[in-house]
Amino acid sequence: MEAYLVAIAIIAAIYVLLTLGLTLQYGLTGLVNFGHVGFFAIGAYASALLSLQGVPLVACFAAAAAIAALAAYPIGLVALRLRDDYFAVVTLGFSETVRLVITSERWLTNGVQGIPGIPRSFAGMGVGMPGALATLGAIALVCMAVALMLRRVVRSPFGRAIEAIRDNEDALRALGKDPARFKIQVLALGSALAGLAGAFYAHYITYLSPDQFIPLVTFYVWMAMIMGGVGRVSGAVVGALLLMLFLEGTRFLRDLAPDLISAVDMASVRLGAVGLALVVFTLFRPQGLMGDYTRR
Amino acid sequence: MFGALLVAGIVHGLIIGLAALAVTLVFGIARFPNAAAGDTMTAGAYAGLAAHKASGSLLVAGGAAMVASAIVSLLGYLLVFRLLARRPVASLLVAAIGIAFLLRAALGLAFGHQQQVFQVPLAWPVEVMGLRIPPMDLTLAGVAACALAAAFGVLYLTSIGRQMRAVADDPDLARVSGIRPLRVMVALWLLAGAAAGIAGLMLGVKTIVSPEMGWEGLLTAFAAAILGGIGSPAGAVLAGLLLGIAQEVSTPYVGFTYKIALAFVVMLAVLLVRPRGLLGRVEGLR
Repeated sequence: MEAYLVAIAIIAAIYVLLTLGLTLQYGLTGLVNFGHVGFFAIGAYASALLSLQGVPLVACFAAAAAIAALAAYPIGLVALRLRDDYFAVVTLGFSETVRLVITSERWLTNGVQGIPGIPRSFAGMGVGMPGALATLGAIALVCMAVALMLRRVVRSPFGRAIEAIRDNEDALRALGKDPARFKIQVLALGSALAGLAGAFYAHYITYLSPDQFIPLVTFYVWMAMIMGGVGRVSGAVVGALLLMLFLEGTRFLRDLAPDLISAVDMASVRLGAVGLALVVFTLFRPQGLMGDYTRR
Repeated sequence: MFGALLVAGIVHGLIIGLAALAVTLVFGIARFPNAAAGDTMTAGAYAGLAAHKASGSLLVAGGAAMVASAIVSLLGYLLVFRLLARRPVASLLVAAIGIAFLLRAALGLAFGHQQQVFQVPLAWPVEVMGLRIPPMDLTLAGVAACALAAAFGVLYLTSIGRQMRAVADDPDLARVSGIRPLRVMVALWLLAGAAAGIAGLMLGVKTIVSPEMGWEGLLTAFAAAILGGIGSPAGAVLAGLLLGIAQEVSTPYVGFTYKIALAFVVMLAVLLVRPRGLLGRVEGLR
């Protein structure tokens, strides 16, 4: 039981990290990133492949964040010239292309067979609880650090500038600021967070395959962000926890009565519930549960 | 070899063109990229499959696919998109993704997750100018041509079509001219849905029917719509054909899985080099 709780806490924390990245990009800056899972995948594979080459894990984690941020740079350059709607389509296409490359380039990623035996984080502390607890502690610390950093960002001049991009880009330009620079920085920083989350994921699950990085994951994160509250750091945390409750709850329900509904049908029910949540929240509560009630 | 790929590319391109037509009409008039277009296609494919099983006629299947997708598309507008008209475009995008997931989930639950195929009789290929063409390809090309002709007929020969193009050009001017937005929108979503339905049916006949089929074709349809120029129906069809041929002809070189990636690369290149696409207009605003 404790092992189970620690396991879902780790996955929940990974989603918190992903949601914080998206909150920075969409919630604060208004960048409609529909390809978050692509950067998550890049971080996961980068860290896994490096660690299998014998690179120490700390360096792998740093590299995962750096490589994901680098991958975001060209997307950012393209994005500067595009409206929100085009940007969404491009990022969605980017994440699908990342998945296709992972599927096809067998020499690097072992294709659909996936990469087994990725070194576990904190393996030196023992395979069971101690290692898992240390992993949880590490990722929780990272989440807290990122959340605190974002809270500071919101109150900083940088934060006011990116929120201005979201609210009125022309006004920002009129003040002599260059929105392009801010957008690229935000995109790279959010993607670095996704890459870091990917590294935690890779070294906790210890197995990677392309079907773990379908677009649905991106929209799990969107659902978490929208449920929690768009543009709120606390909302990202609450939303990710709600998402985990939903994901584990649906699994738990099926485990209770495995004969009632097949695994694939349950996957459909889950997909439909995500879709319904996205539609209903957009229609009736776009600011989310913890949203900013003073704006929009 | 090249000829066979070319023929396959044209048929595939017509399917992409129809899907891109659905995307570009909505993008041009309702002004957002509808991510639910792919799953609207899937709905048409399943409706067509059911009708084909019951009647054995591809014509009936086509009718069923059109009607089902048009209804799905219209419901999406009436229940969701209409209420979001004054919201930022991000809301519409997220809602469209939500509808796409809902549709895919509902179809998976209703029709099962295993891949299904249209039971069409096998026939000897016919020889046309030294090319061996399966008769089904000719039938499908005919169906697509009829559907496109009908869509263009509606757009360019009827009053409601003229109104739709007026709204696409300048929504405010259209309103001032006494064009009722609701009627235009209903017609738009019906037309886009019907086009998506035929595309879904053709894709199902040509390949397989599964709940994921439409979502997987979505990116290619977006790419074709952007390549053709947003809001340009003729551009969408032309770009669909180009992309379809490019995808089929390049398959021996880049492999099957990179078909979608090719669409993505084309899309990026167009957006960077010529954002208005092949036949698009320069947008005054933004």
